Amino acid sequence: MISAPEEGQTSHESLSGEGPTDIEITTARQRLAAKHKHPVNQLFHDEATLGERVADKASAGIGSWWFLGIQSVLIVIWVFINSVEFFTHKWDLYPFILLNLMFSIQAAFTGPVLLLSGNRQAQKDRLRLEHTAEVSETAEKATVEILEEIERNTEATLKVLEHLKKRRDAKSPTGATS
Amino acid sequence: MAQQGAPATHDIVHRLRLRHRDPNADHKHPVNKAHYDDAPLGARIADHLAAGMGSWPFIIIQSALLLVWVAINYYGLFVKRWDVYPFILLNLLLSLQATYAGPIVLLAGNRQSQKDRITLEHAADEADKGEEHITRILIEIKKNTDLTLQILRELEAESA
Repeated sequence: MISAPEEGQTSHESLSGEGPTDIEITTARQRLAAKHKHPVNQLFHDEATLGERVADKASAGIGSWWFLGIQSVLIVIWVFINSVEFFTHKWDLYPFILLNLMFSIQAAFTGPVLLLSGNRQAQKDRLRLEHTAEVSETAEKATVEILEEIERNTEATLKVLEHLKKRRDAKSPTGATS
Repeated sequence: MAQQGAPATHDIVHRLRLRHRDPNADHKHPVNKAHYDDAPLGARIADHLAAGMGSWPFIIIQSALLLVWVAINYYGLFVKRWDVYPFILLNLLLSLQATYAGPIVLLAGNRQSQKDRITLEHAADEADKGEEHITRILIEIKKNTDLTLQILRELEAESA
């Protein structure tokens, strides 16, 4: 199953080695159904405004096999009814000028929805980079701290060594180094 | 480390949320700065075009104009009809819109792929910097280990 939110805090411990990690390879579908863990996804998807949610739904709807399939079926029905003798009620004879208008209307809305979804994606990209900048700042600070801590350790070790040498020299006043 | 980590993450999310909702906020990441804050005129216009056409006001106004056009020319409301059923002039206008929408979509896409390129270049620079840090840390630890080994030898000599 997908991990519960409180497991997010224990993930540091699970890195230390013992026990199986709770990170399992899941399918993309399972991962998408789970709660968002990454701050960028939380801000971008969970806190999306109504307009943004509708925009996501619209681009997901138009960019789906269902849309393509239903549109194709409707086109075939339209052309069929308006060209086969059997049907008496025809509203758009050859060369299907009204169908052409329908295509234009579809294209006139697909363009803006495409841009809408592109803008959303650009917005997310921008947010992701800002997050990267914040995180890398923290990481760099941590790295510098680690380096400084090790340097302090080296200094301390050096002092211990000097102390030992001094004690040895005191014990053998001849000063002979062996 | 973990105790310090939680509130820091919270602060980060808070700052990000503020910047996310403010289009005029200053950017922190160098790639965002280069891409948005230092964009040339053409790029700015491209961004505005994409933002304008890819917005709910555009879609809603376009829908309203469509309905008004069809209502007037189908039912003959208010003024003399100028584009009777099946609305060939409307078709032309919509095609014109689509003709411009395509290039604008590509313009926005090109901007985005350019940004992706800068992002990767920046990531490569950062990786170099990170490697340098790690190398320095490793050298320092090796120094430390050498010293500790010297101490060990001193102690061994002492107890021998």
